[in-house]
Amino acid sequence: MKPAPFEYHAPTTIADAAGLLADLGDGAKVLAGGQSLIPMLALRLAVFDHLVDVGRIAELHGIERRGDALWVGAGTTEAAVGASVEVASSVPLLAKATPFVGHFQIRNRGTLGGSIAHADPAAEYPAVALALDASMDVVSSRGSRTIAARDFFDGLWSTSMETDELLAGVSFPIWGGRCGFAVEEFARRYGDFALAGVAVAIELDGDDRVRRSALGLIGMGSTPERAVTTEAQLAGQPVTEVDAEEVGRSAVAGLEAVPSDLHGSADYRRQLGAAMVARAWRTASAEARHG
Amino acid sequence: MTVPTAEGSTRYAGARINRVEDARLLSGRGTFVDDVSLPGMLHACFVRSPLPRATIRSIDTKAALAMPGVHAVFTAADLNPDVNEQWHTSVGPEGPETPRPPLAEGEVRFVGDAVALVVAESRYLAEDAVDLVEVDYDPLPAVVDYTTAEQAATLVHESHGSNLIGQMSGLPASALQEVFDSAAHVVGETIYQQAYVPVPMEGRALAVDYSAPTGELTIYSATQAPHEVRLFCSRLLGVPEQKVRVIARDTGGGFGQKIMVQRDEMCIMLAARKVPGPLKWIEDRRENLIAAGQSRHEHAAVKMAFDAEGTIQAAQIDFVSDCGAYPTPWPVSTSSVVGALFPGPYRVPRASFTTKTMYTNTVGRTAYRGPWQFETLAREMLLDIAARQMGIDPMELRRRNLLRRDELPYTNANGMPFDHISPMETFEQALDMLDYPAFRKEQAEARAAGRYLGVGISNYVEPSSPGFGYYATEAATIRVEPSGKVNVYIAGGSTGNSIETTVVQLAADALGVDIEDVATIQGDTAVTGFGAGAAGSRSASMTAGAIRETAAILRERIKAIAAHKLEAAPEDIELGNSRASVRGTPTIGMSLGELARAAYFDPYSLPPGVPAGLEASARYTADTRFVWVNATHLCTCEVDVATGAVKLLRFIVSEDCGPMINPNVVEGQIAGGVVQGIGGVLYEHLAYDEDGNPITTTFMDYLLPTATEVPVIEYGHIETPSPGPGGYKGVGEGGAIGAPPAVVNAVADALAPFGVTVTRLPLGPTQIHALIAGNRG
Ligand SMILES: Cc1cc2nc3c(=O)[nH]c(=O)nc-3n(C[C@H](O)[C@H](O)[C@H](O)COP(=O)(O)OP(=O)(O)OC[C@H]3O[C@@H](n4cnc5c(N)ncnc54)[C@H](O)[C@@H]3O)c2cc1C
Repeated sequence: MKPAPFEYHAPTTIADAAGLLADLGDGAKVLAGGQSLIPMLALRLAVFDHLVDVGRIAELHGIERRGDALWVGAGTTEAAVGASVEVASSVPLLAKATPFVGHFQIRNRGTLGGSIAHADPAAEYPAVALALDASMDVVSSRGSRTIAARDFFDGLWSTSMETDELLAGVSFPIWGGRCGFAVEEFARRYGDFALAGVAVAIELDGDDRVRRSALGLIGMGSTPERAVTTEAQLAGQPVTEVDAEEVGRSAVAGLEAVPSDLHGSADYRRQLGAAMVARAWRTASAEARHG
Repeated sequence: MTVPTAEGSTRYAGARINRVEDARLLSGRGTFVDDVSLPGMLHACFVRSPLPRATIRSIDTKAALAMPGVHAVFTAADLNPDVNEQWHTSVGPEGPETPRPPLAEGEVRFVGDAVALVVAESRYLAEDAVDLVEVDYDPLPAVVDYTTAEQAATLVHESHGSNLIGQMSGLPASALQEVFDSAAHVVGETIYQQAYVPVPMEGRALAVDYSAPTGELTIYSATQAPHEVRLFCSRLLGVPEQKVRVIARDTGGGFGQKIMVQRDEMCIMLAARKVPGPLKWIEDRRENLIAAGQSRHEHAAVKMAFDAEGTIQAAQIDFVSDCGAYPTPWPVSTSSVVGALFPGPYRVPRASFTTKTMYTNTVGRTAYRGPWQFETLAREMLLDIAARQMGIDPMELRRRNLLRRDELPYTNANGMPFDHISPMETFEQALDMLDYPAFRKEQAEARAAGRYLGVGISNYVEPSSPGFGYYATEAATIRVEPSGKVNVYIAGGSTGNSIETTVVQLAADALGVDIEDVATIQGDTAVTGFGAGAAGSRSASMTAGAIRETAAILRERIKAIAAHKLEAAPEDIELGNSRASVRGTPTIGMSLGELARAAYFDPYSLPPGVPAGLEASARYTADTRFVWVNATHLCTCEVDVATGAVKLLRFIVSEDCGPMINPNVVEGQIAGGVVQGIGGVLYEHLAYDEDGNPITTTFMDYLLPTATEVPVIEYGHIETPSPGPGGYKGVGEGGAIGAPPAVVNAVADALAPFGVTVTRLPLGPTQIHALIAGNRG
């Protein structure tokens, strides 16, 4: 369990990092907190000739309000996200998801950008980003672009970023008004990746009708999934008449690639997912109604 | 904290003494094999088979050998011919052992089977070179499922002629036929346990320093039995035993996995003489999970007959276990213990058993803390199933059948001679600690509110401190050094069983010295007498015997010298607080330092017949064949029926390990075993897919319980002395034996409203969910 040899680079600016990625081509990989990448290297599931450590790039760190969104630098640690007052007040869903990300030792090193770029379908941040329609700032020596979350996660551990691109930051839209947020998930042990989970956001109008809702499913497919059909059905419904169990069943109904392994059959995960959605829906709707 | 004795000095046995090991271990200053770094050291890494069974067509080592920093790539042709003899002491040279080629010869027999060994300047380089070794395999059909292995056309070991390694039996089942035919109730089930494993924090590890000029080998080993490593190595290489020195300072857990020398270690011993520097092999976690061994994978058809009142009339078990391709040691005798102990601490007038052990193309079986644990699992699960079927409270059913003190000694139906045990006492103590009636009330209220609580119990009796074969003796050397400080030499090996603390406590008491004056040297075969190591829950009793015998010699000598110097009779000398003084006049006395000075530096001042110096060696031979130990485990849980999650609420253990030498150590041993037992039921599964590929090769998938999954463990103690030294009994293995059925029964009890019968482990959330769904129809 020792990685194959690699050359280590530690640029201090986004431009230098982008330059290295452009020059080194496919043999290079961005290293952030290393909490996902290093184990893969140690098990030789992945081999790269060059690692470009982005940990020393100050521009990648930070949490700041940018218009109607909260921008979080890709290099911001998961622990910093969890401790941020700004995150807690502007994007409560992100704050609520953070304690579910591994253990505090992992969150001290792991980064928000690393989690989103790694695109594990069972990870919390990608599901939150998808639920909230976050947008990803991506930079390369060719220029920068913004990718919408729904276009970002395109397969198992795969994103629409090119190999020479660097994730610089993620902008999470801020939901105002009568909102409620909840994250529910089930893992075999505290800190494990979820077998099934959900991040739920609800906004109500003044008459307790669902103005909009977002359900980001965790661990229920090869990418984070959004229960768009369910969301559409819920729009305009009086929240007090919504049956949370039914929301759960509906949210998992159309899923086609629910994983199945030693820890849980697809059928089990589907029912678990429905139960998690129901729980999160109840919590989030209560929060939206009563503040 | 110490206990004052009648003589006014302190007695350390019985006190909650802090462990002497802790200062170094808790500050990260232990010395494990990987901490040993010698000049010119080389590092080994195995090329392992990716296939469960295949013919090795060819191995091309050229590219690997050409890599800078690589010293050697060995294959079977290089190492295997050097094998001189290859047998474990506990099995003997004539044992019907599995053939064990150090490196796979012609055929690989499980995923992880070692095919070649790379030696390089670092482990990194060695792993790079492993990737360059090209092995051409011709895949063969594999035997994966042990339950059908006996009928399989494919043989794991062609030379053995069958996949059945061996079988044992007690009374034939026909002898019990009448009892079963006429019994008021007969309850039978087939109970399955999945494979789970010891998972020591430190994997297997070996560093071999060979000196060509002298032919000597110094071996640093992660082992439970340093002397066995030495003996084995001397036989393997055909070098005299004195030329091999084994040093085991700290070992990061063994739990049975590190009692025997396995094939991988043999390779390192064989290769060490062929490379130009000391050779180190540190097993990494993935290797440990695929190649260090499997355990617990077994099932049995079990059956009990009861009369109308629930009194047990007979018990029968037909047991089959998966032993993988290279079980170490020969697994057949352990399997018979499962049969013999199946009746447990109950009054079971008739019993029969059969056992079968099977070869498969999976990793070989090794011992795991209470290797016969299945007898308790199957019996206690069956008793709960029986209680439910007969409509008797499971505790009441046990109460009617548990052995009472006035029935002892009691020889069970398979000839196991139980004595000095207290099954009824630990049982009642555990139930009191829980307040069983209160729990049933709470459970009923919870059920009414749609919450599912459960309680599970298990009782067991186990043999500790085996008094036969090479386990039957243990030696101690005690030196009162010229300064009066005491050093105790014991074979030992510190594998987490606190044996250093135990030795220091017992020696301080035996010699009447302050505990600060005693140190112990263990795990170095150059200076300790032969001992079988940490196995069979033997260390406490055997070490106590060794210290008792040796200290008796020294006490007599110290008293003689003191009497002579103080002009008193030896009978009037008492030892305490590192002094010898005259009974009744404690001011008249000498310190042990003064006496030692005389003994070493003024030999002519000693009384006639007393030899110079204050050092002695003696060997204790076990007073008994077995020291029986019993305990009750009691567990409560809540099951979330929506998710299948189990939350353990309370875990109570009442244990009778005789007088406790150190409650901290006793409770630490129980805790460790209980956590492993909880893991075995709820989390851990060393799984293979149906093609024979291991699928739990990292801690992502092989789930160990952590602090967040384990409740506070509560301890009750009953102290019934054994006939052995100090009345002590073994407590190393019991936790891992008693815990699993208590957890299973608690879950099954919680699910009782769903009409669920649990017969298969593990009980992960997916399995629990399926059980509930299956019975909801
Ligand atoms: C025991 C354990 C438990 C865990 N449990 C959870 C959990 O429950 N939930 C969860 O969500 N995560 C969990 N994780 C993963 C953890 O959150 C990781 O930190 C995270 O997934 C990756 O972040 P990182 O900063 O460590 O990235 P790295 O491991 O350094 O990189 C991960 C991947 O992202 C790429 N990458 C990183 N940063 C960038 C960037 N700025 N631009 C482009 N590509 C980039 C890398 O090239 C690599 O492919 C766990 C990890 C461990 C070890």
